[in-house]
Amino acid sequence: MSQFTLKTSTIGLQTLLNVTLLCAALISLVVPTQSDAAGPDIRVPSYERVQLDNGAVLLLMERSDVPLIAFNAVIRGGALTDTAGAEGTASVLAGLLEKGAGKRDAAAFAEAVADVGGQIRTGASTESITVSGSFLSRDANLMVELLADVLQRPQLDAGQFASLRDRYIEFIRAAKDSNRSALTGIYGNAVLYGQHPYGRAVDGSEASLAKLQHATVRSYYQDQVGADRLILAVAGDFKTAEMKQALQRAFSGWRKAGAELPKIAPPASTGKPRVVLIDAPDAVQSYFWAADIGVARNDPRRATLDVVNTLFGGSFTSMLNSELRVRTGLSYGASSNFDRLSVGGAWVMSSFTRTETTIEAIDLALATLDTLHQDELPVEQLQSGQRYVLGQFPLGLETAAQWASQLASLAFYDLPDSYIQGYGAALQAVTPAQARQAITEAVPRSNRLTLVVIGKAEAIRKDLAKYGPVTEMKLSDPSFQPPAR
Amino acid sequence: MFRRLLLLAIALCAHPAQAQVPGADQVHAITLDNGMQIIIWPDHDIPNVALYNWVRVGSRNEVPGITGLAHFFEHMMFNGTTTRPPGEFDRVLEANGARNNAFTSNDVTVYQDWFPRSALETVFELEADRLRNLAFDPDVIESERGVVHSERRLRVDDNQAGRLMEQVQATAFLAHPYGIPTIGWPSDILAWTIDDLKAFFATYYAPNNCTLVLVGDVDVQETIALARKYFGSIPANDPPPAVRTEEPPQLGERRVNVSAPAQTPLVQIAYHALAASDEKVPALELLSRILTDGDASRLHRHLVEDHKLAISVESFVDAGFDPGLFWLMASLPAGGDTAAVEAALDSQLQRIIEQGVSEQELARARSQELASFWRSMATINGKAEALGSYAVLQGDHQRLFTAPAAYEQVTVKDIQQLAASVLNRNNRTVGTLTPPAADSEGQP
Repeated sequence: MSQFTLKTSTIGLQTLLNVTLLCAALISLVVPTQSDAAGPDIRVPSYERVQLDNGAVLLLMERSDVPLIAFNAVIRGGALTDTAGAEGTASVLAGLLEKGAGKRDAAAFAEAVADVGGQIRTGASTESITVSGSFLSRDANLMVELLADVLQRPQLDAGQFASLRDRYIEFIRAAKDSNRSALTGIYGNAVLYGQHPYGRAVDGSEASLAKLQHATVRSYYQDQVGADRLILAVAGDFKTAEMKQALQRAFSGWRKAGAELPKIAPPASTGKPRVVLIDAPDAVQSYFWAADIGVARNDPRRATLDVVNTLFGGSFTSMLNSELRVRTGLSYGASSNFDRLSVGGAWVMSSFTRTETTIEAIDLALATLDTLHQDELPVEQLQSGQRYVLGQFPLGLETAAQWASQLASLAFYDLPDSYIQGYGAALQAVTPAQARQAITEAVPRSNRLTLVVIGKAEAIRKDLAKYGPVTEMKLSDPSFQPPAR
Repeated sequence: MFRRLLLLAIALCAHPAQAQVPGADQVHAITLDNGMQIIIWPDHDIPNVALYNWVRVGSRNEVPGITGLAHFFEHMMFNGTTTRPPGEFDRVLEANGARNNAFTSNDVTVYQDWFPRSALETVFELEADRLRNLAFDPDVIESERGVVHSERRLRVDDNQAGRLMEQVQATAFLAHPYGIPTIGWPSDILAWTIDDLKAFFATYYAPNNCTLVLVGDVDVQETIALARKYFGSIPANDPPPAVRTEEPPQLGERRVNVSAPAQTPLVQIAYHALAASDEKVPALELLSRILTDGDASRLHRHLVEDHKLAISVESFVDAGFDPGLFWLMASLPAGGDTAAVEAALDSQLQRIIEQGVSEQELARARSQELASFWRSMATINGKAEALGSYAVLQGDHQRLFTAPAAYEQVTVKDIQQLAASVLNRNNRTVGTLTPPAADSEGQP
């Protein structure tokens, strides 16, 4: 192949429908944290926060190492505010925002961005719509104009809506042909969260998109998008006073969203194991995902959880990857993470293996989880996890785009700057006893997991029953929601 | 799924006002007595360092029976030395706050480490150890064989786009080893022997076949001293045998169809094109942007927006030591007509051959290159990758800093001439992937 092959690759749970599904800053994966043996000294560079009368929050940080300006605009709501049966509304709306805005139709808008080498990416996630990108600093005025148009004056054209919706359906089909590991989490969340809005397929399903109406997307825009939902972080090569003035002028006249942001209750675990098997008759490999309800973004044990996850499934030498890849050669990779959202989240582990070793690999993953709960914690590995997370932390805080994303994320989850500045110290303070307690409290036991497997059903169906009651669907089914049992 | 290749994305361009790329005078390059090239670019924005070790070996250096071996080696380089047991490399690095990875292409195998400055000497020690003392444990080899096979299933066998690409590439080359898939043919993955591995290591893994790039929070003199201390005593080797075979001119269009139970058909077209060192590469990169970069690009607008024949269309330039391929790839909606996509692509390409591109399109493509360049220069990782790419594939890292001029100089006429010579029907391989019931549609 002419494309590169890698030692490891992240198994993206939510990417590759050709749409940016999640604002990078809002996913707290394994990523980062730290500095030297001398001690953590990551400072948040000074930035200015402005709240407009209409509720919009502006965050501005000067960074001048390269002649670029990056922005990250987050609108609260996202798939949470999709109506039942209309999954994918926020996602299609996000895509539609840049298909014509202000005085420019879709073609003219695309040309205006391309002419200056700009980038505008839009996408939805479970809790937000994000518009992000970067422009050369010489094009700052145009950037503000285009961004304001995208958010405040999208044309939401009927023809553009129809073709975008149709393409989104095809992207899902293409992912089923070529990117199965990315799909397990979509099936999984639907089962794990059940009727809770966190379970919605953010980009919709073939079935929900086929029914989606233009009017639904238009009302979504009226009700769920507005200044009081906006956090706009801008970082890069500009003068704060000038940029602030430009943004105030561009956004202070914007209306508020028509509806209140709904309050949602934390998701609850059923505590019972379940299995969903998605039949891909041509598959030569099985892709599996196992999860239970986990913790929220503001969980005070965050540093401890990050260290624990690094130890279990967040790095190459983690217990999970060591077992499934390094020791047995069953898989190219295995990983785990805490997916932490506003009021709750999920703990997830995933991997893949050839069809014939499906059960062996799942057994091993579950046994490794049992080991985490039962055996004495390897203190040396725990310390390694601390240093690893600390050592990688600055690499996520290097560019203007990363800072824009981080600032927006802090504001979105209402977290203090110490979430970044105090992270190094918090990591170093994690004790084995705290780690043990966090494992007991926040990492599920193997006998209560929701297990999703995409693979050749004929070969694995019978043996999967030992993990819990099995529901079966076909990969070609147009919904991600398993039929009621 | 198929994004522009990382290496090749670092094509450059600049607006006249910003043609000066800062940093040329900060980069230090030396060659050790054993022939190992060391390139250092201090950058103190964050307290971290990116290290890239570029080894000049890829699937281009393979022959039937050992296809995939360069990539397998990439995996084996993490699996123990005569001084350190398997797994120790990763354990020590992580315990020092470092992360690592590696990739293999047709041309090169590249080892990467990202770490806090405090780990600098540890990283040097470990990198030198595995270059000098790699071990070949039969049990570890068997286990890693399974890992690589799993990777192949993920990227090729369970990935329709990957499957088709492998077939098109193998069909495009009759003679040159660029037809070999980097991941390797399955029978070779299962069959290569420990002696194959030893011979491969002895031939290609020598300091004179490596270029080491460090960018980040380092002191130049200290880094050079460490390079001498850890790599300086590794003996040079005879230069690896040259790849002699040249691909003969293609004499007519070739076609390959993959029949697969996919919902969405695919079309991929590969034209024989340029080597990385070819001065026409900037023109081809700009042409590629004009064709497919963004919603305003020609092929996206025509195939995706206006005629809805495809759901996405992409292109990229695969240029290495030898002339590689220029790729066009379209994903179709379920039930889509591959013949109609081919016809639409042909008519669009023919328009460029006959009428050229506009000055405005060229200016746009240059702006996209410029912005893309600065995005890659925003990180120590992007800089390390760019420096190494220029040093190894184009022969001089300083071309990173002079490349802007090369992009400025491209004219609409250059692009039209290049389109006429490359985008020629007799010079291409057309691949289609269609579901079994629709196979006949994929044929001419």
